Amino acid sequence: MKIEDRLSLLNYKIDKSYAHITVKPDICETCPDHFCTFACPAKCYTLIDAKLNFKYEDCVECGTCVVACAHGSVSWTNSKGAHGVKYKYG
Amino acid sequence: MSEFDAIVVGGGPAGTSAAMRLAANKLNVLLVEKADPPGSKNVSGGVLWGNSLSGVMPDWEKTAPLERYVKSKGIGFLTKDSSIDINFRSTKFNETKTGYTVLRTKLDQFLNKKAKDAGVTVVTGVTVDRLAFEGKKVVGVEQDGDIITSDAVILAEGANPRVAIDSGIRPPLKDEDVAIGVKEVIKLPEKTINDRFNLREKEGFAGEYVLGFLDGGVEAGGFLYTNKDSISLGVVISMKHLRENNKTYSYDIVEQFKNHPSIAPLLEDGKVDEYSARMVQEGGLASIPKLYGNGYMIAGDAAGFSFSNGLILQGMNYAIASGIAAADTVVEAKAGSGISEQSLSRYEEKLMNSFVLRDMHTFKGIGDITWGSLIHQKMPGVLEKVMLGLFMEDGEPKKHVNQIVKEALKSSGLKSSKLLLEGYRMYKRM
Amino acid sequence: MTLELVVLIKVVPDGKEVFVDPVNFTLNRSMATNVLNPADENALEAALKIKDEHGARITVMTMAPPFAEPFLLECMSRGADQAVLISDRAVAGSDTYPTSLTVAAAIKHLGKVDIVFAGEKTSDSSTGHVGPGVAEFLEAELATYSRSCRYEDGFVIAERELEEGVEVVKIPTPAVVTVITDSNNPRRATLRKKLNAQKKGIIVWSLQDVGLPSDWVGLRSSPTVVKKMLPFPAIERKGKVIALDMIDDFVKELVDSGIIKRGGN
Repeated sequence: MKIEDRLSLLNYKIDKSYAHITVKPDICETCPDHFCTFACPAKCYTLIDAKLNFKYEDCVECGTCVVACAHGSVSWTNSKGAHGVKYKYG
Repeated sequence: MSEFDAIVVGGGPAGTSAAMRLAANKLNVLLVEKADPPGSKNVSGGVLWGNSLSGVMPDWEKTAPLERYVKSKGIGFLTKDSSIDINFRSTKFNETKTGYTVLRTKLDQFLNKKAKDAGVTVVTGVTVDRLAFEGKKVVGVEQDGDIITSDAVILAEGANPRVAIDSGIRPPLKDEDVAIGVKEVIKLPEKTINDRFNLREKEGFAGEYVLGFLDGGVEAGGFLYTNKDSISLGVVISMKHLRENNKTYSYDIVEQFKNHPSIAPLLEDGKVDEYSARMVQEGGLASIPKLYGNGYMIAGDAAGFSFSNGLILQGMNYAIASGIAAADTVVEAKAGSGISEQSLSRYEEKLMNSFVLRDMHTFKGIGDITWGSLIHQKMPGVLEKVMLGLFMEDGEPKKHVNQIVKEALKSSGLKSSKLLLEGYRMYKRM
Repeated sequence: MTLELVVLIKVVPDGKEVFVDPVNFTLNRSMATNVLNPADENALEAALKIKDEHGARITVMTMAPPFAEPFLLECMSRGADQAVLISDRAVAGSDTYPTSLTVAAAIKHLGKVDIVFAGEKTSDSSTGHVGPGVAEFLEAELATYSRSCRYEDGFVIAERELEEGVEVVKIPTPAVVTVITDSNNPRRATLRKKLNAQKKGIIVWSLQDVGLPSDWVGLRSSPTVVKKMLPFPAIERKGKVIALDMIDDFVKELVDSGIIKRGGN
């Protein structure tokens, strides 16, 4: 089962006015490993034409990426106001 | 004068247990949970082991939303083609239930409701930003510029402890502290589950697996638990080894586990109904931060309390027991000399006297074993060769077991002296 | 004199957790949690914006069983001043007609009102009746499908988003404004305001409180009859990815296949 299909099973209340994770593109540009793309279980980090692309909307708020990024690019905060992923089983 | 005797941050098992215990002692408690409904951001494998909940809810086995009790416990070593399983079933588990499979969204919602019923002020759907300090003393929590005051704060915010990190009371997590947990809930009819796992109504299976077949030497453990009419299945991936590998995607590993020839038939015709992920505290004693300070304590996953020795994987019972210990510490401090770093140091003593920190000390350094190439790479292969040597009838003359084992070891490149040494270390530490 | 604003809300099952029963086409809500109707969040925000500018007292109101209480408290913690729950066994089974009647009676019971806000529709039934119905019973002016609105000296100026375009209307108060989904960014509640809302609590009114006889409401006073449920067949879309430099060819393909028409001149 493709990850996109698995993510499509999830219910999110997307916060349009606040991104709870931000990355610093200038750091990602020179990143030698892009380990975030392998570590993030929600495929929020992808390489498009060798350039890092990040989207917070699919995030399941596990916090893996901020540990995975060894270069200080990822800033992680909690989602606000019950936005973000909403599991039915957990 | 503070607005609350205590504020608990996080409405999981640790936080709700702490809040219930405080309320039972007539303290004025605020419980803040960021999800709404509570539980809807929480993930566990999930077997709730032990009886810790009885500390706040004596009748929890009758009232809590539990899926099945563990009747059958499995441990498996998986290679590309084979599985070597140990399955332990016992009627002893009928009399004394050792564990229940649970789904956290349901369980945590129940626990939050119980906390509310017990008199706790429960606020959901709002995220605490950080602890509020006066000098070095914690005086409450800060949220969107407001400070809500309390005599003590119990941080029970889970595996990704942002409030603790952002308040400067614990260092950020490192590779050694955590593993990546990825899980799926797969729907299957209750009867199908009973048939496939040889279970009766309410009986459940909990299995842990060493995934010795993963591409590129990635080290991960698998788990498979039966719920009433679904299966919780997932993997726990070593952050360190995934980084060294740097070519396998975390979300693909759970698919490799699902597609294993021994696992796939168990899931046949099942419908994946949810995908989820969380970090799993795997660092043991070395990852535990300072547990208390002037006006605060850290409980549950936020404190790194979990247990894994390769045979079992536990977290919720440690969370509950630590939440209760933190609550009792507040109660005693308030009845005695008041809240101070000194009076809250009793928290650590309580944990040292309970299984929470005892287990962590007893199994210090277990991570070297559970996340080692012996268990993940060599052992499954050796076992497979031994089993094939014993059971594969290929028309060749039969050999003694010691000969089979010797050949299996040889082909794996393991020296028997090394195996003995490693095996002894493992045996000692487990 | 303080502006009096009322915001009508409804608690609905989370649309992303509801699925249609494949056999009898009813909605299966067993896995669904309750949420505030999405458009109502925008209606509340529209009212809060007017309060920010002119000062106002906002009353949030719903007709529902007691489970709606936390959602009323949530509205209060975003900035509403009080909340009224109309809760009475007699209203069970009411369709949009007696619902509008009851809500209008409750608004009258409240006293003077300047603007009533409602979501354009609810996500669970999508009728969009109650806002206009309340306007009718209150004999108030009505602006539906508002994407933004402001207050000016006894008038509401609302931008209505219609299929043909945007219409700007200026209507005198008292007025009812229904607000379209996603037309603004609802503000977040804070912990402090949530605590204050819990402390203050909500107001609960029965039918008797709002002065309505019980035989005017409920299932028997509801003219709607559901005769049959029919499935709406899903249309399979032919997804096609077009490279940017192939746009011209793609437009030609669409014109040739009659999907779009070439414009005049």
